[in-house]
Amino acid sequence: MRESKIMFLQYLTGLLILVFGGLHFLALSFLTPSPDKQLYVYQSATNHTLVGGALYYNYVLDIYKNLAWAAVFELFLTVVTFHAFNGFRIILSEQFSGPTASKVISYSMLIIGLIVFIWGTRTILLAFLG
Amino acid sequence: MTVQVILKGFGEVVKEVTFRVRRYDPEKDNTPKYSEYKVPVKKGMTVLDGILYIKEHIDPSLSARYSCRMGICGSCAMIINGKERLACQTQILELNKDLIKVDPLGNYNLIKDLVPDLSKLFNNHKSVKPYIIRNDNPPTAEYLQKPEEREKYAMFTECILCGACLSACPTMAADDLYLGPQALAQAYRYIADSRDMGFEERLNVLDSKHGVWRCHFAGACSEVCPKGVDPALAIQLLRGVLMKNSFFGYKQVPAPVGKERPTVVEGLKVLEEKIKESEKK
Ligand code: SF4
Ligand code: FES
Repeated sequence: MRESKIMFLQYLTGLLILVFGGLHFLALSFLTPSPDKQLYVYQSATNHTLVGGALYYNYVLDIYKNLAWAAVFELFLTVVTFHAFNGFRIILSEQFSGPTASKVISYSMLIIGLIVFIWGTRTILLAFLG
Repeated sequence: MTVQVILKGFGEVVKEVTFRVRRYDPEKDNTPKYSEYKVPVKKGMTVLDGILYIKEHIDPSLSARYSCRMGICGSCAMIINGKERLACQTQILELNKDLIKVDPLGNYNLIKDLVPDLSKLFNNHKSVKPYIIRNDNPPTAEYLQKPEEREKYAMFTECILCGACLSACPTMAADDLYLGPQALAQAYRYIADSRDMGFEERLNVLDSKHGVWRCHFAGACSEVCPKGVDPALAIQLLRGVLMKNSFFGYKQVPAPVGKERPTVVEGLKVLEEKIKESEKK
């Protein structure tokens, strides 16, 4: 693939990271269903109201069980992995030039990127399937 | 009646400055070292004049490259007080310092003292085919171009190949194979020229791993260019062209040829004959 196409994807994934990252932040901070935001404090007469953003672990996990959210996280993982490992490829190929170095860098970044992607997908799937 | 023009203060020694010059002789030295020289400064004296003063009066072994002494040939670029400048265009008094530190351009191999090996600059320049490329018949007159078409690339024709931009460029320092701001600006200069048809021929070099996409837009090239060229701008414009090309294709429309000129036609015939003769030989 021509470098201009790869760079187009790099810029596009950069933008998508903002979108999916925003959604991810939204999901975890505001949309997490916490109907009872009351925390009982041991040996105290009153209940404390939890303020913005404090999360119940189980409710967070519930988000992962929702197919739409799982899809958003999977897409987030995809764009982050591409953007990060293509970025590493660019940085490394500036430091180590030459055709052999270039091949080694491209393939190793592809393989490591794939491993990270598969591992991340596994995590999302495990959470989704409970 | 003779009119005498007196330039007030011209030729008077105004002050003495210290030149701290980086010296390196590959035959003698393992590493570069700095030497200091006291130079009396007259009004109007440039850093190049200072270097020549040192050569003439203190140490003739000091080497520097220069030719026109008027900011045209681009030979005398060097790092003066930390910034790439043309030595022949830098007034010592305008620097307003008692210490003038002079280093050779960075990001190049060194030949001696202040003389860098500019082959990288010239090879990269050559690799982008910096000339009008046409695939039609040899022209029988000039190609016609409107003033507004010339405006599109006019600024980039000012480049004098001094190499200052490559020295200032941080990507150049990291990536040996990077084309560099000078070559990329010249590639854009020709691609944007309405007379040119050579986009495809330059594409592989420009749209490569070490081509136009490796610019990080530090802007150091544009900052130091002594001719007011903005290579960083050319790189952005070139990226636009390449991006357009990779999705929709980029078509160059050849400028038309003017009304046939008999002298040009005659000249072409002579040229053809000469080529044939030399081929026979
Ligand atoms: S673009 Fe400017 S700094 Fe770079 S080589 Fe040309 S004249 Fe020198
Ligand atoms: S000597 Fe020609 S540009 Fe300085």
